[in-house]
Amino acid sequence: MKFSFWKSALASPAGRAFLALLLVLIAGAIFNANGAFFKIGTHRDTLRQASVYGMLACGITLVIVSGGIDLAVGSLVALAAVCAAKMAIHWNWPWWEVVPACLAVGTLCGTVSGWVTASLRVQPFIATLSMMVLARGLAKYASGGMKVSTAVQNSDGTYHYVEVPALFRAIDHRVLGGNLSVVTVIFLFCVALAWLALSRHRWGRYLYAIGGNEEAARLSGVPVVAAKICAYAASGLFAAVAGLCQAAQEQQGDPEAGSGYELTAIAMVVIGGTSLMGGRGGIGLTLLGVLTIGYLDKILSINAVPEAGRLVLTGIIIVAAVLTQRRGRT
Amino acid sequence: MRAKFISILASVALLAGGCGKSNPPAPTQARVYTIGMSQCNLGEPWRVQMNEDIRAAAAQHPELKVVFNDAQNDTLKQRAQVEEFVSSKVDLLIISPKEAQPLTEPVARAFEAGIPVIVLDRALLGDKFTCFIGADNKKIGRAAGQWIAKKLGGKGKVVELKGLMTSIPGQDRHTGFREGIAGTDIEVIFEADMKWLEPDARKEMESALSRFDHIDLVYAHNDPGAHGAYLAAKAAGRDGILFVGIDALPQEGIAYVKQRILDATFRYPTGGAEAIDTALKIFKGETVPKQIVLGTRSFDKSSVAAGGEPLP
Repeated sequence: MKFSFWKSALASPAGRAFLALLLVLIAGAIFNANGAFFKIGTHRDTLRQASVYGMLACGITLVIVSGGIDLAVGSLVALAAVCAAKMAIHWNWPWWEVVPACLAVGTLCGTVSGWVTASLRVQPFIATLSMMVLARGLAKYASGGMKVSTAVQNSDGTYHYVEVPALFRAIDHRVLGGNLSVVTVIFLFCVALAWLALSRHRWGRYLYAIGGNEEAARLSGVPVVAAKICAYAASGLFAAVAGLCQAAQEQQGDPEAGSGYELTAIAMVVIGGTSLMGGRGGIGLTLLGVLTIGYLDKILSINAVPEAGRLVLTGIIIVAAVLTQRRGRT
Repeated sequence: MRAKFISILASVALLAGGCGKSNPPAPTQARVYTIGMSQCNLGEPWRVQMNEDIRAAAAQHPELKVVFNDAQNDTLKQRAQVEEFVSSKVDLLIISPKEAQPLTEPVARAFEAGIPVIVLDRALLGDKFTCFIGADNKKIGRAAGQWIAKKLGGKGKVVELKGLMTSIPGQDRHTGFREGIAGTDIEVIFEADMKWLEPDARKEMESALSRFDHIDLVYAHNDPGAHGAYLAAKAAGRDGILFVGIDALPQEGIAYVKQRILDATFRYPTGGAEAIDTALKIFKGETVPKQIVLGTRSFDKSSVAAGGEPLP
């Protein structure tokens, strides 16, 4: 009876992803750093910290389900952050202009990646690798290699200081009596949006079909090229949202922001149980993966584990989680 | 017509020949000195500032022309750049090397070919260069430690947000700081690597805040780290914590002190202006010291407007 309960719970990817999260949370309860793990602020901070990665993971899930990969999202975070800081701090644009403009930049870059890979048939790894380099270059070009901050350079080389824009303050704010970061709310909104698209919309079914067998999908009348371009565009859009949140939390646009974020986001997707081969997975799984890595990171941080130990432990745990997922499938 | 052309050609050849030999050149000759500047990586704001300092200092002297090269954090690319500068016969080479071992030999060859070499920030092995200009991270860390000890009256609970502890600057800013607070009752209650990155500093500071109800001061190995910690404390509604950083770039640390975000920052000088000064001395034929250790300045509320306070 007990055995069969576990067996059925672990039969689904969701059950296994949930088990991984549960194990990490138990580890947190054991290594609670003098009770710090039980404070509500710790959980709020964990969710805030994981949110930017989580937004990237949402977009990447769409792409991975369709059998592709998106390496450009980390650089798009930097590009969107620099654009947001330039527009909001230096040019004093109101938020209703900054937000759409930022999202448009990200979506445009994603569309280009999608077009290169879907229409020009360049492998997604190469196409998005190129976009990763290109977007980083654009971010550095737009910012002149410096962080775009509230210290604005005058023509004579001195600096004057401007206020942090209201948009940034609003995003880096908290709700529910200070117990939930706005960034996390935005992340949950992204999750809901991606879930609706993937599970409740025809486009989502197209992506699963393409990821399962692209040729079969094409022969059964799925608009393969358009659906794939839309997946990369959506990934770019989510990356731009993440970039906006990054800029708001740093109160500046850093052209070096987000480097390596794509790998963390991919790890989150894979730990959740979405297959890198495409055709299998979902946003719910990604949410579990985001929480697992987010909490793992937080537990290592509150215990002040030295950097070397953190990297080793994180590596081992990712492999262990992925192995569990694979064993369950066969 | 043709004769005129030949005479121009001849005079150009004469001039060129004269340039090659004259060392030091005759003062009457209005010649332009070309300086090759090989920067290891322009991804860091501090290094962007270094190039900016060199550009600004050289702009004061019309006889100097600086050619900048960015090695994009690639040792072999930087080596190729040094070799290019040698074959294009620059009058002087300034290099801020990515790492010592692989770049020592290419620079030595340039030096042996008669090109004066100024090494900035990171040292090379051996002595095949004209002058090394750099700052002492340990000294800066110690100065920060002493400032903190004085500010806290010799006791308090401090969080240390470290740069990369696998990097020499990170190690030196750490050991120097510990020397600076040695013998006081200051206790480092939490320390973590933030990899020089602001988001990471914010994350680690949040952990420190959830673990400790009382923190007096945060010492971060760079200003973005201190700024990240400040944002974390502010978001948590924790007042009364002091924040100290290092680097004091005009648009970062200095700006933060002026905006009352940081309580102090310590300059890690780029040496850009000093490199141009030294280059001018070399061109005039003066002897220059083999090593110049740059002094640091502290900037706090009271001294920031006056351009900081030099530290011994």
